[in-house]
Amino acid sequence: MNRTSRLTPYLYVAPLVLLMAFVFGYPLVRIFEFSFKMVRGIDGPWIGLRNYQLVLGQDLFWESVLHNLQLLLAIPVMVVVSLFVAILLYERVAGWKLYRIIVFVPFVLAIPIIAVVMKRMFQFSGPVNEVLRWLSLDFMALDWIGSSEVALWTVMILIIWRESALGIILFLARMMSLDESVIEAAKLEGANWWQRARYIILPQMRGVIEFFVVVSTITMLSAVFAYVYVIGGGRGGPGTATVVVEFYIFNALIRTSLPGIASAASVMLFLVSVLLIFPLFRARRRAALDEATR
Amino acid sequence: MNKVLSSLPKHAALLFASFLALVPTIFMISTALKTEQEYAVDKLSFPRMPVLENFRAVLVDSPFLWWMLNSLILVAGAVVISTIVACLAAYAIARMEFRGRDTLLAISTSLMAVPPIVMIVPLFVLYSRIGLISTYQGAILIYAGLITPFSVYLLTTFFRTVPNELFESARMDGANDFVILLKIVLPLSAPALVTLLVVNSLYVWNDLLIAIIFLQDDAKRTLMAGISVFQGRYNNQVPLTMAGMVIASAPMLILYISFQKYFIRGLMAGAVK
Amino acid sequence: MTDKKAWDLSRRELMKMGLALGAGSALGGVLPGSARAQQLTMDWWWWGEQELPGLQKVVDGAVAAYKEATIKPMLQDTAVVISQFQTAAAAGNAPDIQYLWNGIYHMESVWFGYLRGLKELVKPEILTASTPTALSNFGGDTYRVGWYPLPMMWIYNKKLFEQAKLDPNAPPKTWEELLTACEALKTAGIEPLGGGIQDGYWSEWYISHSLPQNLDTIGEAVELFIGDKDFRDPKYHEHWTKLEELKTKGYLNADMSSLELYPGIDLVPAGKLAMGQSIGTRLPADLKTANGEVGVMTMPVFGKGKLAGIPLLDVQGLGISSNAEDPKAAAAFLEFLNAPEQLKAFWDATGWIPSNTTFDTSVITDATVRSMWETWGLGKNISNVTNVMPGQFYERAAIPTGQQIVQGSMTGEQAGELAAATAKEWREFNPDLVENYQKWVVDLSAG
Repeated sequence: MNRTSRLTPYLYVAPLVLLMAFVFGYPLVRIFEFSFKMVRGIDGPWIGLRNYQLVLGQDLFWESVLHNLQLLLAIPVMVVVSLFVAILLYERVAGWKLYRIIVFVPFVLAIPIIAVVMKRMFQFSGPVNEVLRWLSLDFMALDWIGSSEVALWTVMILIIWRESALGIILFLARMMSLDESVIEAAKLEGANWWQRARYIILPQMRGVIEFFVVVSTITMLSAVFAYVYVIGGGRGGPGTATVVVEFYIFNALIRTSLPGIASAASVMLFLVSVLLIFPLFRARRRAALDEATR
Repeated sequence: MNKVLSSLPKHAALLFASFLALVPTIFMISTALKTEQEYAVDKLSFPRMPVLENFRAVLVDSPFLWWMLNSLILVAGAVVISTIVACLAAYAIARMEFRGRDTLLAISTSLMAVPPIVMIVPLFVLYSRIGLISTYQGAILIYAGLITPFSVYLLTTFFRTVPNELFESARMDGANDFVILLKIVLPLSAPALVTLLVVNSLYVWNDLLIAIIFLQDDAKRTLMAGISVFQGRYNNQVPLTMAGMVIASAPMLILYISFQKYFIRGLMAGAVK
Repeated sequence: MTDKKAWDLSRRELMKMGLALGAGSALGGVLPGSARAQQLTMDWWWWGEQELPGLQKVVDGAVAAYKEATIKPMLQDTAVVISQFQTAAAAGNAPDIQYLWNGIYHMESVWFGYLRGLKELVKPEILTASTPTALSNFGGDTYRVGWYPLPMMWIYNKKLFEQAKLDPNAPPKTWEELLTACEALKTAGIEPLGGGIQDGYWSEWYISHSLPQNLDTIGEAVELFIGDKDFRDPKYHEHWTKLEELKTKGYLNADMSSLELYPGIDLVPAGKLAMGQSIGTRLPADLKTANGEVGVMTMPVFGKGKLAGIPLLDVQGLGISSNAEDPKAAAAFLEFLNAPEQLKAFWDATGWIPSNTTFDTSVITDATVRSMWETWGLGKNISNVTNVMPGQFYERAAIPTGQQIVQGSMTGEQAGELAAATAKEWREFNPDLVENYQKWVVDLSAG
């Protein structure tokens, strides 16, 4: 009854397989190979585990891992901020649609653009500090991008500012699919704003929050290059204060011509991201299930 | 009356959130309209006498439009390739029986979680050897590859929702798979395709990592890579820099305001990546 | 291969550009076509319009004026100056004449065998007069002819000196004098010294000026990297201790950490900072901004090495590739570029000085620029020590140390420890490069 020959499906998926083999397959095989070689230019001799030994023995590598982990601290803040704003929007006060458009602007602006703007705003003698001094908050007028102690926190502010917009939209969309009659009923019974949010809305948000947390974790561990590149002056500065693992790999490959070292670090990053795939799939499934019950 | 009063704190909170969301944009636009001298003495207030000189300087003296064109070429190339590849594959996965189908979908979907930086080293070495560094085709291929797993995932999910009867009746009329895909499935999939267009275009347009590694030639520089060079060159001229940022962000902001429904839907779907 | 250089380039571009704001001129290039018969045709890949506008005119003029051969010039893109040459050389297609940055930026090509030694090819007096600097020497030969110079100096604002009751024509020469001057300036409410270190280049320039103060030869710096000498030895990190001293005494400008290099230099001609590090190509413009009230000086001396207090001169140059069909003819063209009328044409087109000690300085109208050139270019000078620095050391130690000391989060001694550890790390990561560096020391220690 099916007139399609047995080969047809394979013809349809062949371009996909070829493209994936080239962009993902080939590189994933080669990083393992390179990570055991001392590569100069395009190839080099086998040196066993030497690259791993060098990478794991280097302070800079651990420092960059630590920076990625520190960025994870932004996630709870993002969740709280996003939930708060999303619930406010959900109340549909007058003009909420306009508010919604506005609070989503941060996510529309490209990271490099916004990083450049923020970098100027946070200069030591820039507008942010001017405002703080004007408010007599001189002690808060830090050297935001110039100090090694502060710079990564500045990056984090920027990340929270932008990624929270995504959280708001995700959470809001989920809330819109909730059963409104329950909330209305609670209102009639005199439940205040906090009670409604805490006992009716929040419990139904578990799936989407979990999803947002997992996605953000992946972002913090492996997708903050663009933030760091601009704020850290293209070198993870000041000093090495904003070097993250992605940047470590970038530097090893491009600036110090050590593809073997870069590969060893890539392999480790890859293995970590493989571990994250499972929670991602689970969270996605659960969030999808929540959606399906709308 | 009571209602108005009770919503006051909410408005206050939302206004504050809106203010925070817009502050960089406001600062960027306001500063771009100032002269260097005015910015030096007054960084905060709106320009007293707005000047357009900074915009002229950026457009005339810097290759912004050229960079945008480069970005556009990459977006177009990568999105077209990815969409074609993904449509074909998603159709087969959603509507045909074949061995390895589930494995293929599982692998393709998993690739979404692999950080792009992991693929960079071997591709860079390979491209250096075969001369694909600083070529459009080289970068387009990488971008197309990076965005395709998501496209396949989204389209497969969508194609599965197309009612079976449509296929059956089309087959009765003697249509083969390709015709069905082209004439029936794709027209029905317009919403999913728009979402893909938004997500994938934004991904390529906004990318910095691939752009600075694989397009090192000035003539091939993308907007995002151009910006990071530009801000370094004019780091002592904040208003000029801001004019550049206004111009760079204008296309997306305008598209967002005009098509915000599609943007929001697309970006939400894109968060799955 | 080694596309690291492609990236170091953008640092170079930033570091030395200064003048070339927005010169979006370098779009694309054409690969060398097939030669027409009859006359000899030579390819010349060059760079520099980006940092020295007007160079294009110099090139066009020279090519038109040269009758012995047909020269086909091609302006290279900043990002690919080295990688494009090395790739072409590996394939046997390198141009006859190639633009070369100093030190390690061309020495790698020498080690790969892509460049010809020039001692046999170019007339010795011309080679010497063009000042290719000691960093072009390897294995007893020289690999570049100098093209144009980049003097590196400190600048100071004379008006501010006067305000602080300091002699505007006698900038501090020793470290003691510097501290006294800084104190006077600080008391007068003027920020004494600094610039912008956010993007890191200031750290690099600081090393260029200060590390040689305790060295007898540039080769001694290389010994620090290959492990024959140690940064933990106080004399090899004294320069960082001195920076720490400036920091703790409050002599550095307050926003130094959040400013980038060029906005930081701008403070001096603008009258907001008394002293800072700068580069010769900026001098004409800065003098104009400050109505001539900018003076030049060498870094005040604290060290006891033979190189202490000697002006710094970096030089961009040209070399001949191993693929050149007729190296003698290529050398003849390089000699032609150093003929008096070509040197004059260089000045006319760029308003900047060509790298040749025989250049007639009487055409330089500005007295400050002329005297600067007489001291930096014609007097005894040394090359830029950071040009021998391995990339890994540059990223991991050279830049961060300065930034952290300026923030007050590192001492000079800790900087020495970081530097020593990084040098060791580099040796472990790059055993193959260490060998070449070991040979290079011989040449660098010779002069």
